[in-house]
Amino acid sequence: MDRLIIRFATCARAAGLMVSQAEVMDTLTHLALVDVTDPQAFHRVLRANFAKSRRDQPRFDHLFHLFFHEFREDAGLSKDLLAPEAARLARELAKEFPDDPAFKAALDFMAGDPLAFLEKLRALETDGDRPAMAMGGNLGQVARRLEMMLAAGKVKDGLLRRLGENPDNLPWQTRRELEEHFLSRLDAARRLISGEDRPLEAGAEARSAYEKRLGEIGERSFVSLTPKEVAEMREVIDQLVRKLKDLASLRYSRQKRGVLDVKKTLRKSGRYLGVPMELVRRNKPPKKGKIVTLCDVSGSVWSAARFMLNMLYSLQECFTRVRSYVFVAGLAEVTGIFEDNEISRAIDKVLAEAELEYGAPTDYGATFRQFSRNHMEVLNKKTTLIIIGDGRSNYLNPELRLLEEMREKCRRVIWLNPEAKGFWYSGDSEMRAFETRVNEVRPCQNLNQLTDFIQDLIL
Amino acid sequence: MEFENVEAVRQRLEEADYICSPEAATVVFLAEATGKPVLVEGPAGVGKTELAKAVAKCLGRELIRLQCYEGLDEAKALYEWEYAKQLLYTQMVKDKLSEIISGAGSLSEAVDRIANQEDAFFSERFIQPRPLLAALTSLKPVVLLIDEVDKSDPEFEAFLLEILSDFQVSIPELGTKKAVHIPFVVLTSNNYRDMSDALKRRCIHLYLDYPDRDLERRIVQLKLPGIGQRLGDQLVDSVRAIRDLDLKKKPCISETLDWARSLVVLQVEELSPAVVEETLSVLVKYRSDSGKVRENIKKVADKAGLTWTASS
Repeated sequence: MDRLIIRFATCARAAGLMVSQAEVMDTLTHLALVDVTDPQAFHRVLRANFAKSRRDQPRFDHLFHLFFHEFREDAGLSKDLLAPEAARLARELAKEFPDDPAFKAALDFMAGDPLAFLEKLRALETDGDRPAMAMGGNLGQVARRLEMMLAAGKVKDGLLRRLGENPDNLPWQTRRELEEHFLSRLDAARRLISGEDRPLEAGAEARSAYEKRLGEIGERSFVSLTPKEVAEMREVIDQLVRKLKDLASLRYSRQKRGVLDVKKTLRKSGRYLGVPMELVRRNKPPKKGKIVTLCDVSGSVWSAARFMLNMLYSLQECFTRVRSYVFVAGLAEVTGIFEDNEISRAIDKVLAEAELEYGAPTDYGATFRQFSRNHMEVLNKKTTLIIIGDGRSNYLNPELRLLEEMREKCRRVIWLNPEAKGFWYSGDSEMRAFETRVNEVRPCQNLNQLTDFIQDLIL
Repeated sequence: MEFENVEAVRQRLEEADYICSPEAATVVFLAEATGKPVLVEGPAGVGKTELAKAVAKCLGRELIRLQCYEGLDEAKALYEWEYAKQLLYTQMVKDKLSEIISGAGSLSEAVDRIANQEDAFFSERFIQPRPLLAALTSLKPVVLLIDEVDKSDPEFEAFLLEILSDFQVSIPELGTKKAVHIPFVVLTSNNYRDMSDALKRRCIHLYLDYPDRDLERRIVQLKLPGIGQRLGDQLVDSVRAIRDLDLKKKPCISETLDWARSLVVLQVEELSPAVVEETLSVLVKYRSDSGKVRENIKKVADKAGLTWTASS
């Protein structure tokens, strides 16, 4: 039993579960306490000790199934006459491609030792961008998956050939059984590679994929995202937001250990004959800012603005109030849409419900005029005004004076430009003029830049 | 060992009004037998805290509860010196103190003499035990519930490690305190953040999910024996159908029970979509969620087998 569990633990590690020595020992003590002949009890004990988070559970279940069900025939086989035959076959096959690790792994898998195979699979999933070894080229993952598929195929060919080659020295039942046994194994291997039942990925998705996806998608320009990637992006943003919230709350708890509050300390010291036994620190929560956003919703800018709005509204509790306006050649307030709807629905609704002339050429001047006439009161010294736009005003009056006025009214004005920096000052772009009149200009082309910006904003 | 086997755990928990899955029973059994802490994870309201209470009840032990929150520190979790009491005592034994230091030749001699008496002031008499210390020093075995451990700071989690693996704590003035009895420890987590591997390694893991239909039905029956067979079925089916929708916060068992209670109070005999909509506020806690349920009421009704004609 001990050896079985240890072997299983090794496989579990190879498949990416964190199983420590202590856990293996616990499992063994625990197994002594329950009825191990009850397969379900056995499974429960192992699961309670091996899969210590929700994410790991599907992965564990799959591995458990593989190890204890699909490989169970081992026990039957080893007592059988077949075992030496099987071992001999495996040895002979091994000679065929002595230098191919993938082949070896597939062969071991077939012979009942999935360790190397699982390790390879895992490597394939975790560092998908390492250069492919055998196939060459830069297909990475696919190539290596293919490589393992081929290895499994080679094993199969070799096996069938060997079984068919010398029909005389094996009785036909034995041969049939061996064949069935090995083929079912190889099937399991192939399912693993092709991920038909997505065994290893199901659990890993949530954690490891996040970093990877952030890496992949973080540098992609917003404009070039496909609809599927937009949906994916939303998930990544959700995770980012959760992280940022943690960060922000961490800062709150740090802040509690701030400077000494002399008044309160003295008042409390009264209880101890005037000895300041308990020090009271000033609990100064960091200032929450008010946010006002002005979003250009014409074409390309909108693709960046929607993600910014998504993040801002997900982080709403970090600000006292978020108000948003969208504009093309005129202004419309969309705060209400965000307050009444769930974020992603609200974003979809913005374009449909805001009363704007979408056909009109973008006019920053008109927008500023309208804003200063109707909404100037939303700006005060606690407000951060975020303008997101490409600054292309179609040669219309940019009304720089009004922008200056707005800047005077609020804490700071940040301009986000979703265009590549190289194009900023060309054509009808007024960026050069705007740039000098706002507090900060930031490029906002992809998720990483956006994240940096939001992080600076809340911290 | 308090329990003979897994089945006994299940039965005794049931006697304590807690119906659990075989997984939970197995984990409780193992934890009790080997003195290991249990880390219970799962969505809010599936009975994580309730499990600890039920274990305490069926073992006849006291439940000591430590509610974790951000900023929880040792002083609130472990122990605190009772300064006020110390000062009060100093005042009262002032005469004795002056007796001790009378005749001291120099200031340093006086201080030395006082220092010899230090033990009198830093003794267990002046310690106010907080939940963790109370659980360790209790003369009777207890159940220690560390609730929502994911809400605590990472530093606190690290501090828990010593307690969870060795069941001892160090108090600088008094030395190391070992547990009189190893308490049955239950940690609960809502997955607000991931617990460290070191903590996980010391615990047996249990994931409580929303119960399956039969289990939920039995729980409803147990907590509300008066509920009609038909209403009970409809209720559980509707909750399960609502849970299948993509909601911000899915209704949990405690909400199912609340809902069942309100339906009993309202003397509803049979659920209809209209009744579901009227009483939705007990079950769903966000406006956007209730909107979604209303939109999908037909789907819910179909799944739960509610009839449209039934009047409330």
